Amino acid sequence: MTADAAPVTSTITAILTDGVVKGAVYALVALGYTMVYGVLGMINFAHGEVFMIGMFACVYGIGVMSTAWGDHVVLNLLLGVAIAMVFSAAYGYANERIAYRRLRKAHVLAPLTSAIGVSTFLQYFIFLTVSKQNVDFPRYYSDWLTNGHVRFAGIDVTYLQVAIVGVTLALMAALFYLINATRLGIALRAVAQDQLMAGLVGIPVNKVIAFTFVLGSALAAVAGVMVAMYNDVLGFDAGYRVGLKAFTAAILGGIGNVPGAVLGAVILGVSEALTTYFYGSGWSDVTTFVVLMLVLLLRPRGLLGERVADKV
Amino acid sequence: MGAILLLLAGCGGSKQAPATISIGLAGCQSGSDAQIGTSMLNGSRIAIDEWNAKGGVLGKQINPIILDDEGKSDKAVNVAQTLVDDGVVAVIGHFNSSCTIPASRVYNDAKVLEISPGSTNPQYTEQGFPDAFRICGRDDQQGPAAAAFLRDTLKLEKIAILDDKTSYGQGIADEVKKNFEAKGGTVVSYSGIGKDEHEFRTNIDVIKGSGAQALFWGGMYGQGGPLFVQLRQAGVTIPFISDDGAFDQAMIDTVGKDAANIYLTFGKDYHVMPGAADFIKKYNDTFHEAEGAYSVYGYDAANAILTAMQTAGTTDADKVSAVLKGQPFDTILGKIEFNAKGDVKESGYIIWTIKDGKFQVFGGNP
Repeated sequence: MTADAAPVTSTITAILTDGVVKGAVYALVALGYTMVYGVLGMINFAHGEVFMIGMFACVYGIGVMSTAWGDHVVLNLLLGVAIAMVFSAAYGYANERIAYRRLRKAHVLAPLTSAIGVSTFLQYFIFLTVSKQNVDFPRYYSDWLTNGHVRFAGIDVTYLQVAIVGVTLALMAALFYLINATRLGIALRAVAQDQLMAGLVGIPVNKVIAFTFVLGSALAAVAGVMVAMYNDVLGFDAGYRVGLKAFTAAILGGIGNVPGAVLGAVILGVSEALTTYFYGSGWSDVTTFVVLMLVLLLRPRGLLGERVADKV
Repeated sequence: MGAILLLLAGCGGSKQAPATISIGLAGCQSGSDAQIGTSMLNGSRIAIDEWNAKGGVLGKQINPIILDDEGKSDKAVNVAQTLVDDGVVAVIGHFNSSCTIPASRVYNDAKVLEISPGSTNPQYTEQGFPDAFRICGRDDQQGPAAAAFLRDTLKLEKIAILDDKTSYGQGIADEVKKNFEAKGGTVVSYSGIGKDEHEFRTNIDVIKGSGAQALFWGGMYGQGGPLFVQLRQAGVTIPFISDDGAFDQAMIDTVGKDAANIYLTFGKDYHVMPGAADFIKKYNDTFHEAEGAYSVYGYDAANAILTAMQTAGTTDADKVSAVLKGQPFDTILGKIEFNAKGDVKESGYIIWTIKDGKFQVFGGNP
């Protein structure tokens, strides 16, 4: 039993790394917030719940598959992610179709209130029908990711951490490309600027908006599966905390801006990690919102949110 | 006019002499602590069923009113108010200290007897309420047990402490810190984390960097399990020690069969007590699952207050309370006596470990 403290530099490196990973998790969820806001100008508070539904869909899907054809780790895990994406996307689409579409022209508070309602509804729906308790992620499937290490800057980084950061960056890049360099992206930006005009020039506005929800929800599902593996546990209220943090990150980076959401999320993750190091984790929520307030005082539209015309 | 008077008289009469005696069973049955809370109340339900089969208490059947406080303080106060409005004469519960303490004020105002099978925060019985009891130990008995184990048995000098910032988790963590330092040890890292957080990587980095020789977790199994798993994933093999809140089968399910170097403080092993086997069998037959750590406490708590009511010949809280404080009770956990505060005189915390996927007494049963 050695009692030697690790060198300070390696502790700081480890803290920063874990902070970046935490930020990457927030970022994947923040992308969904920021996309919906960019297109519709509304905040989809039910997004955290879609993330949580992805977690459950994956775990139950893996359960069904391992009874159906055995425990093939990689195959079942990948299919589990796919199932999570399908379920979350379906919920995201249903939310838009049922709770938001008819309120699109209503006062700005109406869809917001509706979103809060959907969030509570989904949380308690899962609570009452699926599980009232926390569920362990089947570690048989995640052990190779959480125990496998690569050496980076003198500290061990797990495969899962690499995957979380890698997937976040790849999806951000793909989203950025989609929005800025494809026909679909042009349609998205057109709808974001003026729904009526976009409709008049032949853009299927409803389909474009539905697509935004489907895409954002699928991203949240990917985040959900990775968080379930990373935290080793999932529950009906898992979306609330991550959702709140991701929403904060999206505001911090400039809501409506894709790279901004990722930047805001990483700043949030790292500042939480550093707070834990210097003052203890009890203070991390305090720092989060102090950072948010300072940024908003200095840049009311968020870090990258100045070019209003380019939003989406 | 006469008819109205008669009606009023009729109402008054039925209110004074209800056909049954209502007893509240309150605790968390959903959320992260659902398993341990539900199994505690299930223990009380078995006791009430047994009493009802024997003809009830004071010649009346007992009507249990079971309510869920979700482990949340505000919900617990609502539950307490509902139970008082429903006219319960006593309450068995709650489980979480953060629920029991605020709820106890409601019960005290309404003169309703309360007995908690599982809330260990000292403050509960330190409020000076005459009719508040607990059948488990207190954190100022449990904390010293953990601290003595770390300092005297494992001979450690530096430990890290993390808690869930609740009345319970922070309460026990404070006691461990105080007692470990009083024994000449140092707490090199001490912090809290929200009860809904399940990612502890940065905390683990800090603990790793602090050179702590052990980690004490003040909180429940819902977070303790993932914390242990993440600690070991980070390659930290120091002893992990926790409290009665982590003493649930769900903890074992999470940490897995290979978990090593993990210790918990809990009361004595009831499996070896006479009478436990009957109870365990009855529990398994009734609920089709294994009993929880606090099931026996729930059972004993219900038996103690029902016996006291029978002896007192009334359900009046002060009179039942006087009986509870005035005589010893035979329970599965042995002969117990309540002191003037409403605490049990002997708590008997010992050290447990997890081995071969089971809770086992550290060093074997004495």
